[in-house]
Amino acid sequence: MGTYLLDFDWTVMAPELVIVITAALLTILDLILKEKHSYPVTKFLSIWAVGLAGYFVITGWGDSSYQILADTYRVDPFSLLFKGIFLLGTLFILLFSFAKKRINEYYYLLLTALLGAMMMVSAADLITLYVGLELLSISSYILVGIQKRKKQANEAAWKYMILGGASSAFILYGMSFLYGLSGSTNLYVIQQAVQEGLTSGYGAFVYLSFALIIIGFGFKISTAPFHTWAPDVYQGAQAPITTFLASISKAAGFALMLRVLILAFSPLFTTGDWERLVSPLLLTLAALSMIVGNTVALKQTNAKRLMAYSSIAQAGYLLVPLATMGMLLFPSMAFYLIVYIMMVIAAFVIVEQVTDATGDDDIRAFAGLYQRSPLLSLIMTVLLISLAGLPITAGFVGKVLLISNAIYTQHFVITFIMIATTVISYYYYFGIIRQIYFRSPANQNPIPIRWEQGLILGVSIAMVLGLGLFPGYLIQFLGEVDWGSAFQMATNSGR
Amino acid sequence: MITSYLALAAILFSIGLFGVLTKRNAVIVLFSIELMLNSVNINLVTFSKYGLVPGISGHVFTLFTITIAAAEVAVGLAILISLYRNLGSAEADQYDSMKG
Repeated sequence: MGTYLLDFDWTVMAPELVIVITAALLTILDLILKEKHSYPVTKFLSIWAVGLAGYFVITGWGDSSYQILADTYRVDPFSLLFKGIFLLGTLFILLFSFAKKRINEYYYLLLTALLGAMMMVSAADLITLYVGLELLSISSYILVGIQKRKKQANEAAWKYMILGGASSAFILYGMSFLYGLSGSTNLYVIQQAVQEGLTSGYGAFVYLSFALIIIGFGFKISTAPFHTWAPDVYQGAQAPITTFLASISKAAGFALMLRVLILAFSPLFTTGDWERLVSPLLLTLAALSMIVGNTVALKQTNAKRLMAYSSIAQAGYLLVPLATMGMLLFPSMAFYLIVYIMMVIAAFVIVEQVTDATGDDDIRAFAGLYQRSPLLSLIMTVLLISLAGLPITAGFVGKVLLISNAIYTQHFVITFIMIATTVISYYYYFGIIRQIYFRSPANQNPIPIRWEQGLILGVSIAMVLGLGLFPGYLIQFLGEVDWGSAFQMATNSGR
Repeated sequence: MITSYLALAAILFSIGLFGVLTKRNAVIVLFSIELMLNSVNINLVTFSKYGLVPGISGHVFTLFTITIAAAEVAVGLAILISLYRNLGSAEADQYDSMKG
């Protein structure tokens, strides 16, 4: 007892504080300055804030885990790594957004969404976790519908809001049972209470709460059969926001899932229920996502919907290590998430530029791209090969890690489904490549690329090829991260 | 005692879910989501009085969910108004321009 607000070492929260202060500052500047003056300031400050927060994440790396605010918020290697991923991704998405004129609200809502994602990965308490989740969700609803005169954007925002709200209610309903068992909202206390509950006849509540939480998380990371919102929302939203949902929002969902399932529901391992119930359930969701995502993508002609189904399939691949557990659980998920975020951001940059320049949302827009912009077609080809998971790209290494983890834990059926659906996915990825090289273009004008987008493409392609050829460094780095510390109380805890 | 409260919450949650999935009027759909969120509040308050370990944090949680639900429904209504302006309809089944 006797810890007060100022006794905590607040520097561990520096990344979040930078983001929240900048978002608040931008809101005020938007009110008092004329738009002509405030727009460049908004662009500059948002980039600056993300960069500074990234700097604080890097300087905080390697410190032991630390809990503040009565153990509700914790900073550990797990959360710092994910925050680094989010900040890098958001930096690229901001650069991507600069291509067009946007309203000021766009930038500070993007920052609050990022803040929500960062809170989610640091939360050790159901209330903090829920507030972070809703901060991300509500900011995303507005961002999806920010073009308020466009019918498709309105419709996408509506569908996202309804299904997102319902899924939040599911998560919350599941959480309420966890609270009922433990009388506390702290995840570590809940872990002990779940342990006691399973042995003293309250198992039904644990399973009920688990099922409800999985349904809610299934919506958030868009796994089948809870994926129906994703194609419509991806199509209706602006390209950078679609990218944000496909990369940052999804990665945050996976981080949250890792933390909640492995922390609150870890007693299910000891009773053997994980192998008997949880693992088959998660594997079914993963297999359904892979099958539905990859087969429905075959008949898509709209480029953004195709990417949406591809991202549903990728969510399925990412869910496999969580279901099977195993030694490579954290390194393989983190590696694939990093690679996936880089691939998906760069791919959306190209999709946006090509469909914009051609004035057509269809994949026909890619016809004859090789004759219009050879370099851009080459980059897109490498990205598609990486998304398909073929060698010398990082996507291949990522898939090999995921598959070898599944084989290592003796799950051969899911391994077969992963390989089979990957082969199916070649068809639609190569459909775009066929358009690029073997179709005649509508006109010969090269696709315009701004320097910000060139920078994103350059960095992504360097990472995709670099990690494809020399994956060892990142794998070793991720292997040495102290993942276990994310699931133990920090030493400065008050309990 | 606790069973009847939990049953009430479960029934309200189910009614809300039913409304979200089947109702045509967009405003009713928003209400149904509120119903789902409020059934959770009943659950939380029940557990903080009659749960295995009674305590105050359930009430605190409820205050947070009420606030967030209000923010969510405000955003929902704003989206609905812009939809109504563009499409001239509050029937949710007419929001179907995207398919595939």
